[in-house]
Amino acid sequence: MDWQAFALTLKLASVTTTILLAIAIPLAALLVLGRGRWLAALEALAALPLVLPPTVLGFFLLVLLGPRTSVGRGITVVLGHPLAFSFDGLVVGSVIYSLPFAVQPLVAGFAAVQPNLVDAARLLGAGSAKIVLTLLVPLARRSLVAAAVLSFLHTVGEFGVVLMLGGDIPGATRTLSIVLYNQVENFDYAAANRTAAILLGLSVTALATVYLTGQIRGGRRA
Amino acid sequence: MKLRSFFPALLGFTLLVPSQAQTALRLAAAADLEPVLPPILEQFRRATGMRVDATYQASAMLTTQIMNGAPFDLFLSADLSYPKKLIDAGLADTAGSADSSMPITYARGTLVLWERKDSPLPTPSLDLLRNAAVKRLAIANPDRAPYGRAAVAALTSLKLYDALKPRLATAENIAQAAQFVDSGNADAGLISLTSALTPHMASSGSYFVIPRDLYPSIEQGAVIVSKTRQRTQARKLLDFLLSPPIQAELAKAGLTPVH
Repeated sequence: MDWQAFALTLKLASVTTTILLAIAIPLAALLVLGRGRWLAALEALAALPLVLPPTVLGFFLLVLLGPRTSVGRGITVVLGHPLAFSFDGLVVGSVIYSLPFAVQPLVAGFAAVQPNLVDAARLLGAGSAKIVLTLLVPLARRSLVAAAVLSFLHTVGEFGVVLMLGGDIPGATRTLSIVLYNQVENFDYAAANRTAAILLGLSVTALATVYLTGQIRGGRRA
Repeated sequence: MKLRSFFPALLGFTLLVPSQAQTALRLAAAADLEPVLPPILEQFRRATGMRVDATYQASAMLTTQIMNGAPFDLFLSADLSYPKKLIDAGLADTAGSADSSMPITYARGTLVLWERKDSPLPTPSLDLLRNAAVKRLAIANPDRAPYGRAAVAALTSLKLYDALKPRLATAENIAQAAQFVDSGNADAGLISLTSALTPHMASSGSYFVIPRDLYPSIEQGAVIVSKTRQRTQARKLLDFLLSPPIQAELAKAGLTPVH
């Protein structure tokens, strides 16, 4: 078992999920509370990473973030190194790749909150930020958990983007899914079985824990 | 869209059936052949009337697929070890060639050092590999991609492998290694001559042929998948590939002929 890759994968998934929630909560609130036809276009845009094959998405990011574009050159100046083949690059790729998995549950959850509650809060003088943080987020708690869990797991299982953008560098971009893939491709099925078993076991345990605490604290319908 | 019309539309799409493919010859071909084979397969179709559906993948992946019953008729690998594995497993054969335990070599691969023309670094040469300004060198995965193995062997012969190891970006296959360099993310790459000679890569970069004594020859082997129902046709395609005019064409595309 490659524990370095295991730790790297957990770190990548945690960083990605944190950033994703910070982006997805305001984005989902805007999509639900906002008015205007352009929001439909924005919502469609936020779902797009689902459409592209992950390796193709990874390829586009490789080109976009590479030194041949002004975006890529700007990043290189700021960070001191190109994004490709680095942990930071994987974070950027993962955030884009898993965006729909954070946004979709939150939009559904926020939209399920009674509109008259939002109107009442607004009449009482609450600003948008306050409405989101003290009304929508607590009422859509299960959607928030779903968004976090899906983003996290989707990043753990992420493969195509990492394959294209990562370059398989131990300690920097060699995640568990790459290790597992390498083991399968090298016909080392025993090691692959072990890695997969550990990955699946831990995921089921972690998920069950999350769902169990959700049940105790808020009830299934909270 | 109303739910009332959304679900019938969804159900409607499930009924769409792609037109039945005719019985074409199914070819599993190594990724380095992707820039080479399509015009040759077209010539084969014109000469024999037989259509060939080619799947281009890393040789290792194709081997796994064939081991698990993928319906291919002929397998063109980028090395000898994968088709040999299939012969040893009793899943592939050489259709009665002299040595039935070894795949039929249909071409040899050439390793080149490739760099973009707009790179600020010196033009490709063995000295470029010694240049500390090369921060990332792209290679294919040495555990399974034949060109990746050749790249590591060449770097080892040059006594540069240990120094370059932390700076290697490993790609899944040789085509992806080429993308790493072509997109500018790696400073240089050890790729196949077939990739370097594609119109796109030929216009965007330049290459240096790695001396052949630095790595074991990249023998590319072919086998017939034993449970094929189109054995005669598969054999015909293999003979076509081995024929002098097609071998000459392979040479133009970056593979060394076997004759």
